[in-house]
Amino acid sequence: MKSPFYSTSRFPKTCVNTGHSASTCIKSTRISRTGIISAALLILCVSISSAGAQPSNPLGADARAASIGGVIFRAQCATCHGADAKGISSIETPDLTLLWTQAGISDGSVFESIKQGVPGSIMPAHGFPDTELWMLVSYLRSISVAGSSTPFTGDELNGRKLFNANCGQCHRVDGAGGSLGPSLTGITSRRSQELLSNSVRDSNALIARGYKPISFRNSENKLVQGVIKSEDAFSIQIMELNQKLSAFMKSDIAQINRDVSSVMPSFSVAELSDSELSDILSFLNTTR
Amino acid sequence: MLTMSPKKSLGQLIAGMILMCVPFVLVAQSDSATLSSGPTYEDILQGFADPSRWLTYSGDYSGKRHSPIAQITPDNVSKLSPAWTFQTGTTTRGRGFETTPLFDDGILYVTGSNNLAWAIDAQTGRTFWQYRRNLPNDLTYGASAPVNRGFGMLGNRLFMVTLDAHLLSFDRRTGDILWDVELADYRVGYAATVAPLVIDGKVIVGISGGEYATRGFIDAYDPVTGDRIWRFNTIPSPGETGSETWPNDPDILAKGGGGTWMNGSYDPELDLIYWGVGNPNPDYYGDSRPGDNLYTNSLVALDASTGELRWHYQFTPHDLNDWDSNHMPVLAEIDWQGQATKVVMVANRNGFFYVLNRVSGALLLGKPFTATSWAREIGADGRPIVLNDGSKGCVPDPWGSTNFMPPSFYPELDLFFVTARETCATFVPEEPQLQPGQASFGGVVYIDGDQSSGALRALDVHTGELRWEFTYPSPTFGGVMTTAAGLVFAGDHQGNFMAFNAETGENLWHYQTGARIWGAAAITYMLNGRQYVLIPSGTTLTAFALPE
Repeated sequence: MKSPFYSTSRFPKTCVNTGHSASTCIKSTRISRTGIISAALLILCVSISSAGAQPSNPLGADARAASIGGVIFRAQCATCHGADAKGISSIETPDLTLLWTQAGISDGSVFESIKQGVPGSIMPAHGFPDTELWMLVSYLRSISVAGSSTPFTGDELNGRKLFNANCGQCHRVDGAGGSLGPSLTGITSRRSQELLSNSVRDSNALIARGYKPISFRNSENKLVQGVIKSEDAFSIQIMELNQKLSAFMKSDIAQINRDVSSVMPSFSVAELSDSELSDILSFLNTTR
Repeated sequence: MLTMSPKKSLGQLIAGMILMCVPFVLVAQSDSATLSSGPTYEDILQGFADPSRWLTYSGDYSGKRHSPIAQITPDNVSKLSPAWTFQTGTTTRGRGFETTPLFDDGILYVTGSNNLAWAIDAQTGRTFWQYRRNLPNDLTYGASAPVNRGFGMLGNRLFMVTLDAHLLSFDRRTGDILWDVELADYRVGYAATVAPLVIDGKVIVGISGGEYATRGFIDAYDPVTGDRIWRFNTIPSPGETGSETWPNDPDILAKGGGGTWMNGSYDPELDLIYWGVGNPNPDYYGDSRPGDNLYTNSLVALDASTGELRWHYQFTPHDLNDWDSNHMPVLAEIDWQGQATKVVMVANRNGFFYVLNRVSGALLLGKPFTATSWAREIGADGRPIVLNDGSKGCVPDPWGSTNFMPPSFYPELDLFFVTARETCATFVPEEPQLQPGQASFGGVVYIDGDQSSGALRALDVHTGELRWEFTYPSPTFGGVMTTAAGLVFAGDHQGNFMAFNAETGENLWHYQTGARIWGAAAITYMLNGRQYVLIPSGTTLTAFALPE
């Protein structure tokens, strides 16, 4: 049983268009032959009047759409975006689970990006039927990082003061603050309260890419410390603790010590109470 | 308020570090705990005084693109070799990598096509960070020319315009966005590609989109807040001075074109900004807009404090050939008939080389530097004596006798170096339908490719006469830089990056970069005792130095 959308051998054709590897093509073909998609499509199609480039997803929160979208994703998108959709750093594909945490992103804009491709990047246009594009949108929605689900109950004003006193030297929110650590504007839409709290209590628990700590002595035997921004076999580019970008030839460095703690301190309950930490998170939740 | 003043922050940081140093005990021993605050306006004002810097588009406010660094000389330039290559990973279909990198404290700040940007280690070409803007899919002018000409810099802030016509402020240490303001609605036809000009307390930008039913402007923004300080509209409002050069129709004025998509220069003493204005809209069809169409195809001198027009000079009145006057205005003090004179020099798309008194705007010299048959002389009234508006064949094509690729001025030699394009085009105008978001050229252009070539030309600024030239097989878009060692660096359409003897024009060195050099000109800087010369080309940035 085949839906009208599948009257042509679309999957192999897409492989050619997008330049995906042969193995992906074979996989795709196999999936298309299972009939699962086709069957589900027929059911879904009844409820779709017109699947044009609409601002909102006509499939809405239909769990089946997300499920089929996942099948399409693994066959068509995972080669570049990773099976977990979190991107592949070596080819600089973005973490798609963070899509909806960005300003200005809507179901419609994600739909258009998949359909038209992204100019200036390796992301090609995809000539899939609109219904399938919306299924992909549904899937990406379903795996999107939701941020914190528990309500923020702390004192935002006190949180701001505490942030300024303890965090603002290194972290930025809403355009002000330091640069040594990641910007925390809107962080609560990307990370759960639990994860953020854990990072404050144990700063080594999760160190973001681009902030791995390092220390070494330079050619003048001076101690250099900072976080790694970039590195190749011959040179290393870092941000020093004074928040200055610096580069060093490895031939000038005796020994690089990577086994160092995060440049961010861990805050014990004695230094920052649970209630104070809750205040800071509540303040961060006000930043966008 | 979390922003830290440099003085305060030192103490704060040390205090913070001590607080932090339970897990990182060595921190307090490090003696480098001074926050770098980045270059000030006074630093930019110094221009080339510090050879370890290149802080604004042309290296200084004058637009001369003439560096005093003289380690590479006519005698040793033949040994110049690539030190590293940086690959952008983004292409610009049909156009080029048009950026001028900024350089400070060992780091290059580079913008690329499709609104990518990087901080790059100037010794190795390795990146500290990369920025990429999520652009909408329905770009208008920005889709046809997805280019960018560079950052502006002030302190730890960078400024970049975008293809969807925004102005962004970055933290130069991280690439994080500090603020983002909309310049104009890109859906109508606007885009932005200029390198912002940073002066005292202001970020000056222009706008692209003169091929659409748009109205150009030059804006000043507050570097800290992003608030707009002033706007100069390049097409007057009804009743304003200049509106008498247009039909008495607000709708035509509102769509009159006049883009400002190439950077300007700045005279701090006169506090004047010099900026070129682009073509009227529609480009080739003029029947709907009788008159001179001010301030299109003009150079405007604006009061930097208020944005008010001090004077203007229109190179091509009632333009029918898309000869935007978006060139880098070059400021210099030259001897003019026995008197030291502040001048501004422009080699124009219409084929003339101009010298103007930059205090008054008075025309001092206007001479053809190509075989343009549009006009051969400027009348006593300062207007060109037009012989052929393009309908009689063989005038410079819409890309012009030169374009926005930077020229260079060598003060010690009184020579102006420009990339000249010899082309032959016939214009057939046709009335267009003006629709928002749709380009409206207003006709068709027939270009005779067999009658075209390019050249690097050295012009005597006192007479406009050709001192020497080096010819290229095709019209070329590469820019020019000179150094006080007596060298001219230029690029061509075939991908060659070359060095010439500035006095004689002798070609001393060349390197095939693998892609045409388009819209970009070289920069140079000192790093760890070595002089580097950098050129963007295709998808690469290549740094050259003498062997160690």
